[in-house]
Amino acid sequence: MKHLSIRHILIALLIIVLAIVPAFVTTTYVMGIFVTTFYVGCCTLAWSILGGLTGQISLGHAGFMGLGSYISAILLNNMGISPWISMIIAFVFVGLLTAVLLSPCFVLTGPYFTLVTIAFTEAFRNLFTNWEYAGSGQGILVPIDNDSIFSMRWISKVPYYYIALIMVIVFYLILRIIDRSKLGYAFKTIREDEDTAHAVGINSFKYKFIATFLSAGLIAVVGVFYVNYIGYINPDIFKNANSLDYVMPAIIGGIGSIVGPLLGAGILTPLSEWLNAALSQIAGLNLVVYAAIVIVVILFQPNGIMGWFTHSKLRKKINNSFDNIDRKLFKKE
Amino acid sequence: MISGFLIQAIINGIMVGGIYALVGMSLNMIFGVMKIVNFCQGEMLMVSMYVTYLLYEYLGLDPFIAIPIVAVVMFLFGALIQTTLITRSIKEDGDQNVLFLTCCLGIFLSNVALMLFTSDYKTADSMFANQVVTVAGMNISVPRLVGFFILCVATALVFLMLKYTKLGKHIRATSQNAIGAQVTGIKTKVVYAYTYGIGAAIAGIAGACLMSYYYVFPSVGNTYGTRSFIVVTMGGLGSTIGACLGGLGLGVMETVGSTLVGAAFKDTLVFLVFILILVLKENINRKKRG
Repeated sequence: MKHLSIRHILIALLIIVLAIVPAFVTTTYVMGIFVTTFYVGCCTLAWSILGGLTGQISLGHAGFMGLGSYISAILLNNMGISPWISMIIAFVFVGLLTAVLLSPCFVLTGPYFTLVTIAFTEAFRNLFTNWEYAGSGQGILVPIDNDSIFSMRWISKVPYYYIALIMVIVFYLILRIIDRSKLGYAFKTIREDEDTAHAVGINSFKYKFIATFLSAGLIAVVGVFYVNYIGYINPDIFKNANSLDYVMPAIIGGIGSIVGPLLGAGILTPLSEWLNAALSQIAGLNLVVYAAIVIVVILFQPNGIMGWFTHSKLRKKINNSFDNIDRKLFKKE
Repeated sequence: MISGFLIQAIINGIMVGGIYALVGMSLNMIFGVMKIVNFCQGEMLMVSMYVTYLLYEYLGLDPFIAIPIVAVVMFLFGALIQTTLITRSIKEDGDQNVLFLTCCLGIFLSNVALMLFTSDYKTADSMFANQVVTVAGMNISVPRLVGFFILCVATALVFLMLKYTKLGKHIRATSQNAIGAQVTGIKTKVVYAYTYGIGAAIAGIAGACLMSYYYVFPSVGNTYGTRSFIVVTMGGLGSTIGACLGGLGLGVMETVGSTLVGAAFKDTLVFLVFILILVLKENINRKKRG
């Protein structure tokens, strides 16, 4: 057990502040932005396992998320299985399915892998658009119930807020554990240089399989939450642009780090919601501004916020001041 | 009777494939020479379709007659994007940045179009619109036939340009080895600007042809963008003729596929075949390398 430090206290404070937010925020709109930010953060974290840690850029995660959503909606509607159980089913099933489907494609590198993920998602979209059991193009409406924990259904947004918050914390912890484990080092070795990874005895197929399983499985869990939060699902979820929504926060925050994607989601999602509301008179203007901001970041700060922060003087200063406070507070050496 | 259907499907496929081939060729110029993945190729097509629409709407130009103007406009547009945005994002390590940049650029362009033109479908009637010629019992739509003819001309021109002109030689040299080309005194940055411009110009030709019988809306690029990647992978990276054949092959696969498995599932078929080709190719390449 490491010593308690000011950093832990700050993180605990942040979580407490987030936990009591619903007591002060009463507008549904603002609550909605919070929930969206949380689940986009989760999606970005899930994407990061494959895209950030392992370096396999996927633009198909909207598809894996959509599979999770469909599983939950179908199981709840047709078999009365609670979304809570669906989360586990979706995690295992979508994770395995995606890993098995993508496993022949692990030989592909760089943009070719990205193309394959896009192709799979487009194929899913086409299949679900024409699959009558899954509601074809109209999609599925999750039954409207009174408040019930069993079917994850509440009229107020507060329970969703807490579920999403817990999900973010759990996802963050999972990524942190992976990042510092042997698994994480194997992922990162593959990202840096696959041939070297082979040379030091890392079976890249095995680790890519694990990374895909975890990444797709986790985003499918978010998908289960998403469908029960939104209340319906249609094949539009498989759209390519949705995948980009989960990748952009990682770009802005810094691909490869764990805090980066969360930070990016925390900045981009409220920004996009705000642009959406502020520039609603002219259709498309909000996305023009949004895309322009991301383009500027990619051009001038390609490593994202965390990429800049890790090598900046600001970080040293903050670290120093934290250490000072630690010394004074806890009388450490 | 069935063979008649099949032949009609194949002919339609070749006609549809003409556009795929053009878009694929435009991507191929950029993908093959600069080794960057241009994820906004579909949006380039969309922009060129709107240019054609504007020329038709305000000057009354027929889409086919507007082709040279559209090509020049798109050349300048492409060269501008290359010199201002894409050069800056090309880094030594990996092409992630370019990938994300072009993705965002795609969103940017299609939403600018949404702002300027709203999401209504716009059309530009050609003088050949809705005309059909019948050859040996097979119906062929005239705009598509003309489009196909233009494809053949464009392919030949690009091929000859790459083979015999000075610029073409520079482009090929840069494609083979950028540093080597630089050593021999080729200004690779200028070559890149030209390459991207030519790529955009071919997309412009494709857009003008497509506009003669299709309509334009801000997200029209989505379908064609993904298709262009399929074409390039099927035809082989960096090969103009390959892209041309790949496009025709894709067109035929789509139309024959939709007569065989039903129109609803043709996309799935196309994408699965695409994935299969990619994986098989890579495996064969690896075996060759040993």
